[in-house]
Amino acid sequence: MAEYWFIADGFEDKVRNFQNRKSEAEVNLEFAIPEKDFNSAGKGSSELKNLLKRLGVDSEILRRIAVASYEAEINVAAHSQGGTMYSAIYDDLIHVRFEDQGPGIADIEQAMVPGFSTANDLVRELGFGAGLGLPNIKKNSDAMHLVSESGSATFLEFIIYFA
Amino acid sequence: MDKINSKYFHAIQILQDNCTGCTACVRVCPTEAIRVRDSKAYIDPNRCVDCGNCVTACEFHAIIPSSDPLNIIENYKYRIAIISSSFFGQFTEDISYAAAKQAVLDLGFDEVAEEAMVMDFMISIIREYIRNNRDKRPILSSNCPAVVRLIQVKYPSLLPNILHQEAPMSILTRYLREKIGKEKQLRDEEIGIFLIVPCVAHVTAVHQPEGAYKHLQDGAFSTGMIYGKVREILKDVQNHPVEIDTYPQGLTWALSGVQAELVDTDDIRALSVNGIENVMDILSRVEDHYLDQYDYIVLRSCTNGCVGGCLNVENPFVAMSRIKKMSKEGENKKIHVEELEKLHAQGEFSVAPLAPRPIMELDKDIKKAIQKMKKINEFLTMLPGLNCSACGSPSCYALAEDIVLGKASIDDCVVLKRNKTEQKDD
Repeated sequence: MAEYWFIADGFEDKVRNFQNRKSEAEVNLEFAIPEKDFNSAGKGSSELKNLLKRLGVDSEILRRIAVASYEAEINVAAHSQGGTMYSAIYDDLIHVRFEDQGPGIADIEQAMVPGFSTANDLVRELGFGAGLGLPNIKKNSDAMHLVSESGSATFLEFIIYFA
Repeated sequence: MDKINSKYFHAIQILQDNCTGCTACVRVCPTEAIRVRDSKAYIDPNRCVDCGNCVTACEFHAIIPSSDPLNIIENYKYRIAIISSSFFGQFTEDISYAAAKQAVLDLGFDEVAEEAMVMDFMISIIREYIRNNRDKRPILSSNCPAVVRLIQVKYPSLLPNILHQEAPMSILTRYLREKIGKEKQLRDEEIGIFLIVPCVAHVTAVHQPEGAYKHLQDGAFSTGMIYGKVREILKDVQNHPVEIDTYPQGLTWALSGVQAELVDTDDIRALSVNGIENVMDILSRVEDHYLDQYDYIVLRSCTNGCVGGCLNVENPFVAMSRIKKMSKEGENKKIHVEELEKLHAQGEFSVAPLAPRPIMELDKDIKKAIQKMKKINEFLTMLPGLNCSACGSPSCYALAEDIVLGKASIDDCVVLKRNKTEQKDD
């Protein structure tokens, strides 16, 4: 399995602490993302955004979370055979995971290059597939982790701190 | 109006005697501001954005838009009416634009001005503002008071994107106050400036302007309220026509789509959105940075723009078609914009930074907010999930939230209560 890690400058210790954390998330959200369903794609991240507004998360941070989760949700809808979005909300951060049913990413390094896209015609016709998804998630996250290979499921997670 | 000082003023009143507690208003409120408790509807003034959905939804005349009584103009020496462009779409085609305008003058005003006069000037200052604020794209139009208030309560992160310039009717107000004061040697309080408006949001805005640095208007009259009188006067006006300046091209300001087309140019890409549900969808996407390709977004709470205001008398599509016809057929009277430009250069039309009025936060402290959220989720699993509104809250989620915030009880759920009684009967 190929793997890609990104941790923003200054967040190394914080992320390590998070990985060693024993406590469970305070609030969990789960959202199914059906394959190529562009009518409902984006609903998961929109629901997450409304929940975070209720928690009073800072509006600029909220916009970063919204962008990252929306991009990831669209990625799963556009490129995979469907998957699930899991949001775990702690009192200091949000941890969002995306698991799909394949077919996987052949070249992760290439997928991280802005503008690179394998989107098919249907997806492009709908206005997606500009090759900005993964780089945009990285840009808005404090940490991002991607695991995939051709022919298997893709796992993506990101962490964004509330302060 | 004394009541305006109490708390957030709204131009919507509930007549408790007429309210049947049917919850029609509860279900159409975009900010979930209305609850029915003990069979009567209540509006949370902090959540209401004056969109007027409830006024339209109420079949029992229990939700009444309030505008000022016309006789308040008698308190002023010099009376000016400023007419919303949508007004001229309200008449059958045998009634000319000029006649309708003359009829408003004959209601007892000394002068009538109209939003349409300053449209070209507005377009130029909007473009200038967009070009000077490229870092904040997209710029969101500020003309619709319901939209500005919606952003304050639900999308506070977008407040800096709002066009921080007065709307055309307020620009005219400033200009006329200055001009008439000098010309007629009148003090500020001797000049009464009133708006003829198509919606409750504009009435609210007159009494409680957001971001206004100075005193603006002295009252607002709804199109619907003066319509009967205007029609009566019209019979006379039509028999004795007079010359009056008109600005047919400017009338298109009442149509959100046309405004966007007019602002759109080589270096400015504009989008037009109307209807509050669409507006909310677009604002949510702006929040996600998905509409950054636009420089300007015209947002109007009502269908087709101001022609869709709930205080108008004509269907918004018919009114739109009439306005389009008038604007094609007529020529604008030229106005001298030098004075306006001078005031603009002095910063007279600037608006103070708009403050958020967040309504969604469960608690200022995120830890406490999370605890409340958990409780909400617990109650949510107990509730039937039918979103029937019979409890008086708009949805099961809203009821769960109301319970946790101490504003309702689980016993308010009619379905749970029925199930309990049935179990007892078994």
